[in-house]
Amino acid sequence: MADMVKDTFTLPDLGEGLVEATVLEWQVTVGDTIERNAPLVEVETTKSAVVIPSPRTGRVVELHAAEEEVVPVGAPLVTFAITPEESSGAGIVGTVPQEERPTRRVRLTPPPE
Amino acid sequence: MTELIERADTADVPAAESSMQQAINRALRDLLAEDPNTLVFGEDVGKLGGVFRVTDGLQKEFGSQRVFDTPLAESAIMGMAVGLAMNGWRPIPELQFDGFAYPAIDQIVNQMARMNYRTRGATPMPITLRLPSFGGIQAPEHHGESLEALFAHVPGLKVVAPSDPAQAYTLLLQSVRSDDPVVYMEPKARYWDRRATTFEEPSDPVGTSRVVRPGRHATLIAWGAMVHRCLQVAELAAEDGVELEVVDLRWLKPIDTAGLAESVRGTRRAVVVHEAPLTAGLGAEVATLITENCFRDLAAPVQRVTGFDVPYPAGPLESQYLPTIDRVLLAVQRTLEY
Repeated sequence: MADMVKDTFTLPDLGEGLVEATVLEWQVTVGDTIERNAPLVEVETTKSAVVIPSPRTGRVVELHAAEEEVVPVGAPLVTFAITPEESSGAGIVGTVPQEERPTRRVRLTPPPE
Repeated sequence: MTELIERADTADVPAAESSMQQAINRALRDLLAEDPNTLVFGEDVGKLGGVFRVTDGLQKEFGSQRVFDTPLAESAIMGMAVGLAMNGWRPIPELQFDGFAYPAIDQIVNQMARMNYRTRGATPMPITLRLPSFGGIQAPEHHGESLEALFAHVPGLKVVAPSDPAQAYTLLLQSVRSDDPVVYMEPKARYWDRRATTFEEPSDPVGTSRVVRPGRHATLIAWGAMVHRCLQVAELAAEDGVELEVVDLRWLKPIDTAGLAESVRGTRRAVVVHEAPLTAGLGAEVATLITENCFRDLAAPVQRVTGFDVPYPAGPLESQYLPTIDRVLLAVQRTLEY
């Protein structure tokens, strides 16, 4: 795993002018491997408690805040070790598409033989 | 006649996994190695290795005289390509994103596409413009465009869009070896598409399509990332007992009229799928060619499933702009019920 890359995720702007959040409960511990969009951490703002999904698929190498700690928006929250592909190289604009299982609502009727 | 080139690691080895990024990188490496006149240049293609890692390692291997960074000036990149081609080089410029092709449109249309015509065949333009294209990565404005109809409309240009790593490799070899200017549109959404890939020399002529899935009830026609979408649709349709044929058009100019006609004569129904807006999109050209050549065979009018007549929306709205599985299925059902 020599080619893993470290990537630090900061507390995102949770909207409505809120400038900080309290870490309620981590859903991961150091060493865990987490999938992108899986629950990462529950935080509480003055408005509500929200679960932040993981922005990355990777291994958790550091949690920057303990539970009950107040974290300002933009401060480091967690550091992942990710593959260079997950980090998607330098300066990519946009996001790497995730392969999802195709779903559908429309059903077809075959033509008469 | 196809010239056989010995490459120790490509001959008769089992297919290895490759992404489209890696396949294009490999094609560029092989092209730089086979012809000392080839040059790779563009914004960040040298030291950085490209924003999508497509030119990774090439400057290190071939030096900064043959793989180099340019200023942030698309008109200069394409103007330089024209000048280099006039002096015997075989340039492979990159414009970093499709939306940044517009500043270079004068050099592409008025110079690159016409120079050979203007000089009565005395000045070929063996330029391959690599253009990361189409949407699917939720990029901001100018970073997702479908310019194929615009370029296909310009006399003198060839236009091609690969759909998977193996095609990306072969079609890039074919484009660069062509003495005509080619716009090579790389589907950004498929850069990370990783699969077992064999790297093959071009064997099909320029302007041929390929059937990627045979079927008998209707033909889906697509290029670039929409080939993958159509394969998903065909898989789901099979659950309903509907067998869809999927044609990867590959060359958007010249278009494989004979290949299209052969498929549609078998299925009698056709649906064209593209990301670009509907109005005056390439789907109209494909539908016309099918109608002109297969009118009596058709059981239903050719359907088009496309983006809408708006710019690609940024962010998560993009997935609603791109042809969804259900929109393609509905179009198929319309042809089945007609």
